[in-house]
Amino acid sequence: MRAFLAIPFLLCTQAVAADVSAIVDDHILPRFERLAATTDQLAKVAATDCDPESAELRGSYHAAFDAWVAASHLRFGPTETGERAFALAFWPDPRGATPKVLSQLLSGSDPVVDDDASFASVSIAGRGFYALEFMLFDDQIMVAGTPEYHCKLVQAIADDIDQTADAIWQDWSDRYAALLKTAGTDGNATYQTREEAIQELYKALTTGLQFTSDARVGRPLGTFDKPRPRRAEARRSNRSLRHVVLSLQNLRDLARDLAAEDENLTNTVSAAFDEALARADVISDPSFADINDPQARLRLEILQQHIDAIREIHAANLGAHLGVSAGFNALDGD
Amino acid sequence: MKRLYLVTTALGLGLAAPALAADKAAVLDNYADIAEAKYADSLITAQRLQSAVETLIATPSAEALQAAKSAWLAARVPYQQTEVYRFGNPIVDDWEGKVNAWPLDEGLIDYVDASYGGASDENAFAVLNVVANPSFTLSGETVDAAEITPALLSDTLQEADGIEANVATGYHAIEFMLWGQDLNGHQPGAGNRPWTDYAAGDACTNDNCDRRGAYLKAATDLLVSDLEYMAGQWAEGGAARAAVIGGENAGLSAMLTGMGSLSYGEQAGERMRLGLMLNDPEEEHDCFSDNTHNSHYFDGLGVQNVYLGEYVRVDGTVVSGPSLSDLVAEQNPELDAQMRDKLGATMMALGRIKIAAEAGFSYDQMLERGNAPGEALVMGGVNGLIDQTKTIERIVTALELDQIAFEGSDSLDNPGAVFQ
Repeated sequence: MRAFLAIPFLLCTQAVAADVSAIVDDHILPRFERLAATTDQLAKVAATDCDPESAELRGSYHAAFDAWVAASHLRFGPTETGERAFALAFWPDPRGATPKVLSQLLSGSDPVVDDDASFASVSIAGRGFYALEFMLFDDQIMVAGTPEYHCKLVQAIADDIDQTADAIWQDWSDRYAALLKTAGTDGNATYQTREEAIQELYKALTTGLQFTSDARVGRPLGTFDKPRPRRAEARRSNRSLRHVVLSLQNLRDLARDLAAEDENLTNTVSAAFDEALARADVISDPSFADINDPQARLRLEILQQHIDAIREIHAANLGAHLGVSAGFNALDGD
Repeated sequence: MKRLYLVTTALGLGLAAPALAADKAAVLDNYADIAEAKYADSLITAQRLQSAVETLIATPSAEALQAAKSAWLAARVPYQQTEVYRFGNPIVDDWEGKVNAWPLDEGLIDYVDASYGGASDENAFAVLNVVANPSFTLSGETVDAAEITPALLSDTLQEADGIEANVATGYHAIEFMLWGQDLNGHQPGAGNRPWTDYAAGDACTNDNCDRRGAYLKAATDLLVSDLEYMAGQWAEGGAARAAVIGGENAGLSAMLTGMGSLSYGEQAGERMRLGLMLNDPEEEHDCFSDNTHNSHYFDGLGVQNVYLGEYVRVDGTVVSGPSLSDLVAEQNPELDAQMRDKLGATMMALGRIKIAAEAGFSYDQMLERGNAPGEALVMGGVNGLIDQTKTIERIVTALELDQIAFEGSDSLDNPGAVFQ
């Protein structure tokens, strides 16, 4: 029995061709380093200029948010320690928790903003990029509360984002990069085989695709009779389409790296992403506000079909190539 | 708690001996038998609830309301243990929203406190209040709700306007009808609906007691008929049983998919960790009755009893047989021990939450901002669930089921699935 089992296991092992160390060094670490750098800049700008309409503040918000979206598929290890990734990015928010928490803080001038450590205890709905978006772009929240308190809250959110991003970056560089690279060696309880490390990276790809299709595109898409433009991600700062594009570009990079040993697979996977990105190019409204128009909604639906084609065909082929399955992810469930 | 844990482990070990002969088909038969028993128990306890509700409506009193609440709490014990059957079995997953949808905008159903707010960005019907309105407009059409029937709830109100938070049926709608809103925030205490909300004549509080009673009865009758349907799906000749025993590897994959998806994405993520991070008492799973600690505990127990292949019925009898544990132990005893250890550790952690809650430290207190002991208790459960999912994945690999689709890649063998 055992000898029989050893054969497919061996085949699986040989099938694992992706270079984990290269993906850590070239894909993962640069993204979290950039997130740490851009959020540092965001906190510095907010410290001197907290006017919601300030071009410099909004510019640094956009740059840091871009850096997060570029890394947002890498949801394992350091981002999942404590509440880190949730504190950076609580969305979707179907019950409207973010405006509710911010309104409560603003109307009561809650002193929790005076101290970084206490602010970290605030509901994740009142922290991170999506909360900052409300503070800078929502018609009501951007003028709510006293101007002094509003400013302090903007600064507290920016500082908190900066600290969270630093903690993720530190954790990756001090600990987790080595853990992933030494998968399958003695004493590595997190990744007991090399295959488990590959599976982690593959799962990041499939989960990232699922989130972009189901949430970033699927939530506003709604149904033909009832599109839901108000559910579009970060629509207040016109970032909805941008997030779809950024996530596809970054997932394409990861897919290429995972397929690297197989030139043919690399090319077909790349081409599928390029095709989807071309479908995103013809969408004109950056916040999907126009999707009550059937033509506009159709363009978004076609984009989703292309993303799903990547999931069904190309990601599945890649999994077979790597000899791993997608396993369980945080989007399982309702 | 410790004793329970030891007993469970001993049962697991006891099963390991006949286990050597365990074949996959026998494991799947036992899995289906346990499902049949769990849904039959869910039906029996729902019928007891139904009879308590009928008494409450016929002869309203504080005692009758309390009896209905007790029946609801008892009904949750077997039902929560069935949730592990959801994700791997499409017949269950397509149906479960009728009976256990959550969270809900309860203003759709009945009166709510002013602090609840009004219609929201997402839901124009968050305060529809069908109990108070015999006629209303829904998505441009006039709805005649003069008579509150099971069909009105299931066909018109459930997910009205395509909004998932419009939950009109199932355990949580009934829970709201019995307890009312929990207005205690992070303080101890559940919803406190007066029994006079069901009283006749001048004794009636908050108006429309007859319509409220009709709603409660319709929702309870629906729960019973929905559970009858599902119990039949797992009986001999039922479609859910046939689907599981039809293909050995697909059946085992369904078992492990249910265990992993419930543990990780659903319970650890959506139900426990998110509520904690939001510090929001409304993120409690059983928020009206403050029964969330039990809801989590019995969900976890369901995962464990699928692996160990044994279930304690509501009449005390035990259904047991060849288990996944046996199959894994035959091939890799260390992996089986790892799985049993982790499932046991999770049950200890969920048990701590239950113990604290029953001693007076309620689940909504645990969620409060800055409540360190509460956070530690809830995160203990979350960490256990996440940790056990890792081992479930290892079992998938060890049993060579890894090219069978999971959530996230279910498109592999079912391209249509992603569109559902």
